[in-house]
Amino acid sequence: MDLLNIFIKSAFIENLALAYFLGMCSYLAVSKTVRTAFGLGLAVIFVLGITIPINWIIDHYLLSENGLFGMDLTFLRFILFIAVIASMVQLVEMVVERFSPTLYNALGIFLPLITVNCAILGGSLFMISKEYNFAESVAFGLGGGFGWFLAIVAIAAIREKIRYSNVPAPLRGLGIAFIITGFMGMSFMALMGIDPAALIK
Amino acid sequence: MQKYRYTIIFVLILSAVSALVLAGMYAGLKEAHQKNELLFKKRSVLRSIEHMLNRPVSKMSDAEVDQLFHEKIRQYVLDAEGNILPEEKLQSLGFVEDPAIRIDRVKESKKPLEEQLFPLYVFEKDGKKYYILEVLGKGLWDLIWAFVALEEDLNTVAGIAFDHAAETPGLGAEIKDNPNFAKQFIGKKIYDQNGNYRSITVRKGGAKDPLFEVDAISGATLTCDGVTEMLYRGIKYYEPFFKKVQSNQIEI
Amino acid sequence: MANTTVQQDTQVKEPIISFGKKERKLLLDPLNDNNPITVQVLGICSALAVTTLLLKAVTMALAVIFVLAFSNLFTSLLRNYIPKEVRMIAQLIIIATLVTVVALALKAWDYPLYKELSVFVGLIITNCIVMGRLEAFALANKPWPSFIDGIGNALGYSIILIMIATVRELFGKGTIMGWKIIGPTSEYLLNTSSLSWLSWYQPNNLMVLFPSAMFVLGVIIWLHRSWNRKLIDVS
Repeated sequence: MDLLNIFIKSAFIENLALAYFLGMCSYLAVSKTVRTAFGLGLAVIFVLGITIPINWIIDHYLLSENGLFGMDLTFLRFILFIAVIASMVQLVEMVVERFSPTLYNALGIFLPLITVNCAILGGSLFMISKEYNFAESVAFGLGGGFGWFLAIVAIAAIREKIRYSNVPAPLRGLGIAFIITGFMGMSFMALMGIDPAALIK
Repeated sequence: MQKYRYTIIFVLILSAVSALVLAGMYAGLKEAHQKNELLFKKRSVLRSIEHMLNRPVSKMSDAEVDQLFHEKIRQYVLDAEGNILPEEKLQSLGFVEDPAIRIDRVKESKKPLEEQLFPLYVFEKDGKKYYILEVLGKGLWDLIWAFVALEEDLNTVAGIAFDHAAETPGLGAEIKDNPNFAKQFIGKKIYDQNGNYRSITVRKGGAKDPLFEVDAISGATLTCDGVTEMLYRGIKYYEPFFKKVQSNQIEI
Repeated sequence: MANTTVQQDTQVKEPIISFGKKERKLLLDPLNDNNPITVQVLGICSALAVTTLLLKAVTMALAVIFVLAFSNLFTSLLRNYIPKEVRMIAQLIIIATLVTVVALALKAWDYPLYKELSVFVGLIITNCIVMGRLEAFALANKPWPSFIDGIGNALGYSIILIMIATVRELFGKGTIMGWKIIGPTSEYLLNTSSLSWLSWYQPNNLMVLFPSAMFVLGVIIWLHRSWNRKLIDVS
């Protein structure tokens, strides 16, 4: 039940996009249509779900004081985490290309973008600061990815409609997208009062 | 293979160079980092008794904090039964200087209760003793912790200093940022007249009981509930120690 | 990044370090016409979380200036040696090393600030401005222009960051760099002093919360584009 709790918390309450505003670059660049947003969102769930547990293993078995080398190597955290993310993204890209060309065509262009998506590295760093265990970090990765997916699909749907609205010219495009995201963030803040533990009971 | 050899060598050299640079820097700054971590904690301890010091802790320089701490505050380490660990035991654990400060409650709280260690600070002013305890709990996002100063009767709160890892700025973070929140705790009791353990409750909608309750921060219900839970559980860990002091088994 | 100025290496012999018209353009362009945040939409992620207090924003800005300038410089120095296949990884290693240097230095220099910025220092690695400049500029240019380009872009980022932080801190807490400016004086929340003519202002907590950063940034973009009308989004 604790895992479900973490999943819900990381997807809705601690939403990476709307509570921490991580991954904003691709969030704004790829949210012009729901179709592309959907593809990127799926790719993010996938990559977060893989990289957070891998980074957990690296942190606990290689970098920590009780790890393989028996000394505190935490200063190598950033380098190793980002290397894992970059290589995982590349690996996922190759695997998807080999086995599912249709999925590759849908996701392909977004995959390289994901390496520099702050939500991915941010997820790994939050996983460290929250001191999750392995199973919890899997739940956190999937939940965080799902929350980001929801956020980007929601903003894309709104942006598709807002094209027909009479927005002041200088605010068009980027400006209004920011303000809408602000409102979305505010509405997500309402979820902060939810205690997931009580919800599940 | 020829083609890849250069690539592999390049990446290896680049990684090795950066790892070396970082390792060197890490080793060089390690001492400063440790000193900073200890100072950070010392400041928090002093903040709990700030109103009894002659100037605010935030205005003190690092050297002043260090000096004040060594002059005015005695440190002890307690085990779960409330006994003070003897000097030799501390030395065997590697805590030579600042033993209580070096206790990491985050790490300790992961051990079984019987093996946990608890820091205790004693501050003396005008012939009165103040006992400062450390408590640790969970807020909305992440860890919260506090140093609670108790008066000599081991019942009245003399001061408290909260801190947190990542509460929402403007809401949960007010436990630290808003001095009026911590001020409310001064003079509250943790035991009722019959000696039953009550601790202090942060009450949403305003405190009802003048002795055991304080006002919550609006919009930060979960953080405030976390504070209530942290105080209830955290102070209780020190109960065996209180009993021993009250029955004169321990003299500080 | 459509209108970024990518200049190829010229064969003309130039002094390694010079400061002429070209360098001035590299330095000033990102402040207005090609601002990384309001025009190129890069690096917003870390911009928003650290802008509750001006001090945090300034620290972050300095960190980004350092990382961007030096990663541009090092990438440019290595540009003819980096194998194509591992370009990304090589760049990321350079950036991550510099960011770790910043994090270690900050931890030694100001520990409370390091704690407050927490993971956001690490997130400079994935600040798209850094990666974007390496790809678009440093890989094709000489070290000195790259260094200037890095500083220029980081300054463009810093200006926006500092603007947002000033607004948020002033209206959210009534302070600038911790100095009381408006709002009830002497004590926070209670105890309104009648002495200060600005004491009527009650700090607005919304400005401290995350979403306000979005509103402030949206309004900054609005103002910027009303003033510099060639940037208006016509699509």
